[in-house]
Amino acid sequence: MSSLPAGISHDALADLLLALADDELVLGYWDSEWTGIAPLLEEDVAMSSMAQDEIGHALAYYSLLAPHSGIDPDAYAFGRTPPEYRFARLLGHARTDWGFTIARRYLYETADAVRLESLSRSAWPELAGLTAKMRREEAYHLLHLETWFTTFMSAAPSAAERFRANLAQLWPDALDLFAPLPGEDELLRCGILPEPMSTLGARWEATVRPRLEAASVAVPLNSATLPPRSGGQHPDFSWLWNEMTMVYRLELGAVW
Amino acid sequence: MSVATTNHADAERRAAFFAHVAAGGKVEATDWMPDDYRTAVLRFVEMHANSELMGVLPEREWLLRAPTLKRKLALTSKVQDEVGHAQILYRVAEDLGKSREAMLDDLMHGRTKFHNVFHYPTRSWADVGVIAWLIDAAAIVAQQALRESSYAPYARAMKRICWEESVHILHGRDVLLTMVNGTAAQREMVQEALNRWWGPLMQMHGPPSDPAKDRDLQWKIKSKHNEELRQEFLGVYVPRIWEIGLTIPDPNLRYDEETQRWRYTEPDWAELRHVVTGHGPMSQARLDFRLLNHAETAWVRDVVLGNGRQAA
Amino acid sequence: MQVYEVFRQEREGEPMAHSGSLLAPSADLARQYARDFFSRRNEALRLWVVPRSAIAEVDDSDWLKPPFDHSYRVPAGYNIVEKIRTAKARAAQAGESEAGP
Repeated sequence: MSSLPAGISHDALADLLLALADDELVLGYWDSEWTGIAPLLEEDVAMSSMAQDEIGHALAYYSLLAPHSGIDPDAYAFGRTPPEYRFARLLGHARTDWGFTIARRYLYETADAVRLESLSRSAWPELAGLTAKMRREEAYHLLHLETWFTTFMSAAPSAAERFRANLAQLWPDALDLFAPLPGEDELLRCGILPEPMSTLGARWEATVRPRLEAASVAVPLNSATLPPRSGGQHPDFSWLWNEMTMVYRLELGAVW
Repeated sequence: MSVATTNHADAERRAAFFAHVAAGGKVEATDWMPDDYRTAVLRFVEMHANSELMGVLPEREWLLRAPTLKRKLALTSKVQDEVGHAQILYRVAEDLGKSREAMLDDLMHGRTKFHNVFHYPTRSWADVGVIAWLIDAAAIVAQQALRESSYAPYARAMKRICWEESVHILHGRDVLLTMVNGTAAQREMVQEALNRWWGPLMQMHGPPSDPAKDRDLQWKIKSKHNEELRQEFLGVYVPRIWEIGLTIPDPNLRYDEETQRWRYTEPDWAELRHVVTGHGPMSQARLDFRLLNHAETAWVRDVVLGNGRQAA
Repeated sequence: MQVYEVFRQEREGEPMAHSGSLLAPSADLARQYARDFFSRRNEALRLWVVPRSAIAEVDDSDWLKPPFDHSYRVPAGYNIVEKIRTAKARAAQAGESEAGP
């Protein structure tokens, strides 16, 4: 806690950590819905582990912020209204079908890998250490998704087309993962964020766009017409929010 | 070689097999076994696998609703374990000669059974605790006895499953203890859930049966009879329920020192038969839900299994 | 010659345990040699003889023992002793006589 670089405001710190945490939280929630009903028992267990990993990462990010804000991780996860969440638009959509789930995960995990690599060089040792640890867990996710990507792309045309359409549909929302943060200048000045989000976004695009184009995905040009990190306003999320806070809201302050 | 001689040799082989099993011997998947033994083990393991898979659904209804992140992780991992158990058990069953797809098909069309408790609805977060603590406890009592099964792949599978179930029981007990130690409304929620689940719980091990007529017992596929399992469950769990201030909705429930047995109101066996034959309050809805999801994900299985149909 | 890994079951019902490996020019001979290497004192009930090339090894510790806290999956992740004590004390105080014998 004392190793936090001087001169950083709580707001700027929250801008970063809540964006990271909320991304992981909501992805973990959507994908955890496959537990018990995935296409194959084997994949059911594998997907559930990945969903649990994401929620564990969200918990770790909230816990990093908690001593600075005095807000408990569960209060972050369940005690906010939908527009207060900071996750990217990519994560606002419901789970939909398996192709959609895999397409979203592919875009998200490749982007998160770029983000984590950069954050593991953060001047804030706690964040650098945490993200370095996450990279070790995410390596398995990346490998698993790579297998799915290849499987879908080499599947019969109907399935491959379906997957390509999912990727193309989600691409603009994936760019939102690298939208500039409100407190970004401060974060950069303190070295908490080693590089601007736009640099990370360009780095991700430079690797993933050619990959998608080579796989004949019609990658659209950037079209950021919606406000950044407004995933919480997605209509699908209001359904999820109702579910995830249902018991929490029964008796505020109760211990569960 | 006359038919009579062949039959004689078969009868001897059969007698030797059952003598081996009766003496505590074990059977492996690749061993020779009589068809009726094979069928009996398959039926038993298949029903167990079905129960794990259908047991996922009631708890899954609360997967998105856990009130803390730690509960969310614990519940997700618990439901994941049940899917994992289904995988283990369907594998054991498959090696006895029936494909997973055939077993799922029979399950979803109501041709095979699953445990009575998974035919009931869930109503509150306390149900998550009751299921994980008490239903899993009742199941583990039976499963611990199955670690001695004569069918060795099943017995070995049970060792792993029992270990995981012991974590579920702790998770469930922790959920309920936290609520019992919480507000009056939380305590009321726990009591209400217990009241609803007690009947199905008492029915879960089945009506008392004559061990002498139970082939699964004779062949040591299982090692304890229904009433033995229920008594064992009551012996451990009733005191634990009482000690935390909960009431069990059976005025006749008590331990009879004289006979060293628990006395209780006769469970509703007609309800049990009705429910397990697919007429429980949620039987059809849960099977329909499985069917729907199975159909919606068929295209993915086609992709993975390489039978992707060429686009027309 | 090819390397074969040999698994042995010593007693009924036990899992197959790795016992060692051997070299053989064919699968048939591998099975025959396995008998002499691994059960010439009657110590095996059955053997599995598997070409090493058929074994897929997973030994990445980040896969097998991921660095994040997954204690909710093991008994040590739950501490209910104090909660039971609290619940018992509350139950006794409330004197809910109908709750017990």
